[in-house]
Amino acid sequence: MTMAGEGLQPDEFAATAARAVTACTGLDVRAQAQNLANDGLLGIVANEEVGGLALPLGFAVPVIAAAHSGLLEFPLLETVLVGRLLQSSLPRLAAAVVSGEKLVTIAWQGEAVAEQLGGAMVLSGTVARAPCAAKVDYVLVRMMAGAAALIPTDAEGVVAEEAAGLDLTVPEHVMRLQKVEIPAGSILPVNTWDVLSSDANVLRAAAILGSAEACLALAQEHASTRRQFGHALSYNQAIRHALARQKLGLESIRHAITRSLSEGGGLVQRDAAFLAAATYGSSISEGALQIHGGMGFTWDVPVHRHLRRIRTLQAQGDASGLIGAFGRRYISEVAPFAEAEA
Amino acid sequence: MSVAEAVSTQAGAVENLTGEAYRDVVRRWLHASLPVGFRSDSAAFAPPPLQQSVAWEASMYRAGLTGITWPQAYGGHGRSLREHLIANQEIGALAMPESVNSIGKELAGPIILAVGTEEQKRRFLPAILDMRNIWCQGFSEPEAGSDLAGLRTRATRNGDGWRINGQKIWTSGAYRAQRCLVLARTGPLEDRHRGLAMFAVPLDAGGVRVRTIRSIDGRESFCEVFFDDVEVAQADAIGAPDEGWAAAIRVLEIERATNRMYRAWRFENELRHLISASKTDPVLTEMVGDRHYAVRLGEVAVEIEVLKAHVETAVEALASGDKIGARGSLAKLYWSESHQRFAALAIELLSQASLPQNPAIRVARRRFEAIYLQARAETIYAGTTEIQLGIIADRILQLSRGK
Repeated sequence: MTMAGEGLQPDEFAATAARAVTACTGLDVRAQAQNLANDGLLGIVANEEVGGLALPLGFAVPVIAAAHSGLLEFPLLETVLVGRLLQSSLPRLAAAVVSGEKLVTIAWQGEAVAEQLGGAMVLSGTVARAPCAAKVDYVLVRMMAGAAALIPTDAEGVVAEEAAGLDLTVPEHVMRLQKVEIPAGSILPVNTWDVLSSDANVLRAAAILGSAEACLALAQEHASTRRQFGHALSYNQAIRHALARQKLGLESIRHAITRSLSEGGGLVQRDAAFLAAATYGSSISEGALQIHGGMGFTWDVPVHRHLRRIRTLQAQGDASGLIGAFGRRYISEVAPFAEAEA
Repeated sequence: MSVAEAVSTQAGAVENLTGEAYRDVVRRWLHASLPVGFRSDSAAFAPPPLQQSVAWEASMYRAGLTGITWPQAYGGHGRSLREHLIANQEIGALAMPESVNSIGKELAGPIILAVGTEEQKRRFLPAILDMRNIWCQGFSEPEAGSDLAGLRTRATRNGDGWRINGQKIWTSGAYRAQRCLVLARTGPLEDRHRGLAMFAVPLDAGGVRVRTIRSIDGRESFCEVFFDDVEVAQADAIGAPDEGWAAAIRVLEIERATNRMYRAWRFENELRHLISASKTDPVLTEMVGDRHYAVRLGEVAVEIEVLKAHVETAVEALASGDKIGARGSLAKLYWSESHQRFAALAIELLSQASLPQNPAIRVARRRFEAIYLQARAETIYAGTTEIQLGIIADRILQLSRGK
């Protein structure tokens, strides 16, 4: 993919992202935000008025993949999407997000209920699957009809609770909203969530691609160096074939993402990319763990961290709900059979 | 441009069109021209006799829909691979019979284009496209299936030409073919991959005997071919003698990556047919409305989307001048296994239709039962699943075999 007139290639951002991710190791979330912002990675798809690079979504794919390959402990996917989402309605806040001054996340599960009280909008309810919610300044939540609201995490009535979850380094939180008053300008219009989810599905697929790529590389390295029965593990056909299947899954994710961003790519292709990534990413990470044998079950081998992330991303995108909806949509678009005309 | 114009001007009809305009003419020509009795989603379907298939495929050629990327000097249409993909997407969208000359068009033709002499290109290629010559592929042998390097059919020098002795098996369509692309050994068996040569053997030559084999779908489509002192002219040797194995590898890479490029779109046609037929039956209507089958049919639809992504990526790579190499194994492995899963789901679903079965269900059952059985061969031909996994491990992952 080449940007018309720009000569930029998405893959050129992968190396920058990999360096930035390495530089974030050991830093707290705010320091990471500054590092990532300085490299232009938080505003990669946001417009130039808010300090972004105004690049198409495809440029965020290698960035997110590199971030997950390097196990970045920052809600980058959410930040990249919210920065762009706010650029028209809340440009000053968008600029603060893109510059790393303000931190944001998204509660991917649940819906807040809004009511008008006097001149104010009041939100209540429980939302969940909000990565890093305890450490950020704002959380985006879903409302009825696909609208969304941006809520300050320090607003009265907002309670962030740690939730059980597989990803320990980017922990998810449950947010209880008890009559949280927010300005009307913080409500984003109907269908905001659908567009956000569709973009998020592409970036989740990219995130899973990054983790799955790391898992396969680790498994391949282990199979080539670990010796049993007088041979490297990779001498055995069972191991070779298992790794070959992982490679097929990996390339399937990669190609599905490319297709979802191509000229003909739409909602179906984006959903398919995420669903393929969820399926193959899980099997690649679990397969990599198996190839590591007992070592894979130790904390020190990082395969489990990727597996945790992939399963978390799968849940944040509600892969099991989405595959049902995907199938129902497909079925509903096919008319009952009628004989072809001669 | 109207379909009538497209048909009447035949090969020249679409030569100035590209992109969606090209797609539109292709689609309209196919819909107007494909006999309803050729469509396996029609109650009128009957497997066409050979002569009708030959006539249909010759008309497709005249309409510009075969030999799309082949040079015009050899009868082709000189178009890009991207247009080849567009035409195949439209071909796939219809329940059309498979070509009776896919070996000629998708294996023998490309290899002759790659390593054949100028005389061979002019002699063989136009005859493949206009269906005067149907080809078959003589690679596998009783003792050399997946392990082609172990093949025993021998080619020995005979004056200026060659004499071939041996036996081929699983040779699809040999009974109807005029030429066989034969891989034969010119050196000792121990040479394995070296000393293999390729020949375009005329099947009416003295000493050639073809015997059909009945397969699990009840058809007699593949054959054993026996060669007893068959004399082959030097003019029918394809490439230099020691280039045989390299040529075979090239053929197989082409076969895995690009042949029947319409597959993903044909699978989509099949999926839509399965759902549309199910919606004519009260029990199946309820079942496809249930979450269980929505998920399973959704999984098939996702796999079809991923397969399209594999094909389109390969086309873009090839169109950009890349060699496809071992990556063809990824697509082959993917489509063959996903199609088997889909076919199994289709017959499982259709077997639960209410009684008495309505005509739409009878048509669908006939089609999907045939697809289910034929799909069992898809993980075997063009390199078994195990061969593909081995290629991915060896040549893409480059896994060590070291002790």
